[in-house]
Amino acid sequence: MLTIKDLHARVEEKTIIKGLNLEIKPGEVHAIMGPNGAGKSTLGYVLSGREGYEVEQGEVTFNGANLLEMEVEERAQAGLFLAFQYPVEIPGVSNMEFMKESVNAMRKARGEDELSSAEFLKKAKAACKQVNLPLDFLKRGVNEGFSGGEKKRNEIMQLIMLEPKLAILDESDSGLDVDALQVVANGVNSQRDGKRSFIVVTHYQRLLDFIEPDYVHILAQGKIVKSGGPELAKEVEASGYAWLGQAQEGEEA
Amino acid sequence: MSQWLAHVIERAAAVDDWLSPVRAEALAKLKEQTWPGRRTEAWRYTSLHAVEDLSLATESSVQAEAPAIAGLDALDLVFVDGRLTTPLADLDLPEGLTIRALTDKSEAAEHVFTKVKPSHHLFGLVNDVLATQGVVIDVAQDAVIERPIRVVNFASDNVESHTRVLVSLGKNAKATVIEHGSGTGHSLNTAFAEYDIANEARLEHYRFALHQGDAIHVGGSHFKLANKSRLNSTLIGYGSQLTRLDVDIIHAGEHAHAKFNNAYLLAPKEHFDLHSTIEHAMPNGTTEENARGIIGDKAKAVFNGRIHIHRDAQKTLAELNNRNLLLSRGAQINTKPELEIYADDVQCAHGATVAEIDEEALYYLLTRGINKQMALVMLNFGFVQELVFDMPNKALADWLQPILKQRFEDMMERS
Repeated sequence: MLTIKDLHARVEEKTIIKGLNLEIKPGEVHAIMGPNGAGKSTLGYVLSGREGYEVEQGEVTFNGANLLEMEVEERAQAGLFLAFQYPVEIPGVSNMEFMKESVNAMRKARGEDELSSAEFLKKAKAACKQVNLPLDFLKRGVNEGFSGGEKKRNEIMQLIMLEPKLAILDESDSGLDVDALQVVANGVNSQRDGKRSFIVVTHYQRLLDFIEPDYVHILAQGKIVKSGGPELAKEVEASGYAWLGQAQEGEEA
Repeated sequence: MSQWLAHVIERAAAVDDWLSPVRAEALAKLKEQTWPGRRTEAWRYTSLHAVEDLSLATESSVQAEAPAIAGLDALDLVFVDGRLTTPLADLDLPEGLTIRALTDKSEAAEHVFTKVKPSHHLFGLVNDVLATQGVVIDVAQDAVIERPIRVVNFASDNVESHTRVLVSLGKNAKATVIEHGSGTGHSLNTAFAEYDIANEARLEHYRFALHQGDAIHVGGSHFKLANKSRLNSTLIGYGSQLTRLDVDIIHAGEHAHAKFNNAYLLAPKEHFDLHSTIEHAMPNGTTEENARGIIGDKAKAVFNGRIHIHRDAQKTLAELNNRNLLLSRGAQINTKPELEIYADDVQCAHGATVAEIDEEALYYLLTRGINKQMALVMLNFGFVQELVFDMPNKALADWLQPILKQRFEDMMERS
């Protein structure tokens, strides 16, 4: 599904990703853990194609296509989804029109018919319900005035609506209490169908109690320094990241 | 001197009704006015060339219905070319609400007519002397009028018309008033409204100036706020050949709160001019004004936002923000913030910008598969739509949203 080979990427003048390799097969859940500044969020931004994040070296193949050659929206239409750590507020655009435009763009890319308003509304209502968002939220501006937890749940609602092939969850657990965490995790787990793959980026092991990964990778200083099974996350929980032995440089972008 | 104005003065002499003594004062002031030119500050960016020698019919027999708005059950008062066509006697009014024609003598009218609107507005004076038709809306103390009152003002081709709205809100009263103007033909319409808002009263107000094409529309909405009263006003304007609006909000009492949102969407070649003046004459008042404009190709917008905080108006909190989006190199905005502060303990913010796209918001939309062109449409229009969403009356918001969106998409295509 996704193959990353020797990826180097920088933000402005600073190289953040320094030789990252990763192979993700359909249906797999990979957790990426690491200390602040390791490049966790940068990876999501680079894969999604954010402006200002420049690939210096390496290649990324997504379902046989060269991901790095594609525009941001083309990557999304090809089935790549990024759940933001800090979802953006867009007060003048309603969640309804945003999601409708988005769902139909994806359907068009997949060669499916656009949803009618009634079909869309039915699907949106079900997704709202699944992540415990009130229905009137559809009429409100995108993430406008949402609490941190509501914003995270909105990301998961979008994940459910957009049916991507690969979802990258960028610290979807940060700032959530246990109940909200459960809602987010249930939403994600409901989308695990044996074909869809996930990259779960997190600082803490906590989320992985709810979303069980197949593989755990430790990212430090721009590359994967250790990989293993779910037990690796528990190790990190017990011993922290101090064993990495080096002072971590820089702030995470 | 403009021939048109000379003619106005001539016609004014023939007006004879119970308001004549007040009209005479206005006429005296009008006679002192010089026709605005480029050096007249209030008209610096708006040429009155199109009005100067204008000669249109002063009456018509055109019939028109109030535009239907789904979900809005309003008390409609309809003016066609300055004629009040709604039979007021047939209205089924809730308790506490009185609506009279301006032609009928009333204390409410006497109390409000020319008493709220500052007398320096040239076209306001024209309206003072010529607007024989109008409505006087009187809301009794403590009355809560749930049903919105809509004053529809339709201007048809080749006609000049003048209408007046006077509103008096008693102590602790509550009401919603919508001024809904439209017209596409070659017309001149002046429409002025005065609102006297008593202690603790609450007014929800809308002004839709949806004149297009060759229409010339000059008007104003003027508010006087007493102690602890509240105003929530939304103004939506198109440009037309010439649309000029003056809004004055006067904090005449303490602890009054005014919120004023306004948005203008100018199709190619249209001209729109909004002058807003917020007078904080008393302490502890708050004002929040958001002005947003989208300006199409070869269109010209003027926004003049003045906040005047008088010496006694301590603890005032006033914010004015004007943002504009130009759709092409040929689009033009003249935005001028004016802050005059004579009190020392106030918080005041004033900003005017020509908007740029929020890159983070754009990226967010793109990551959801929305193509760039559509994402830009959503964000650009979103900037005005935000004020539509902010309208307390949802039926009005639901009605306006698709109309404005369609206008915006047409503007994009033609810019």
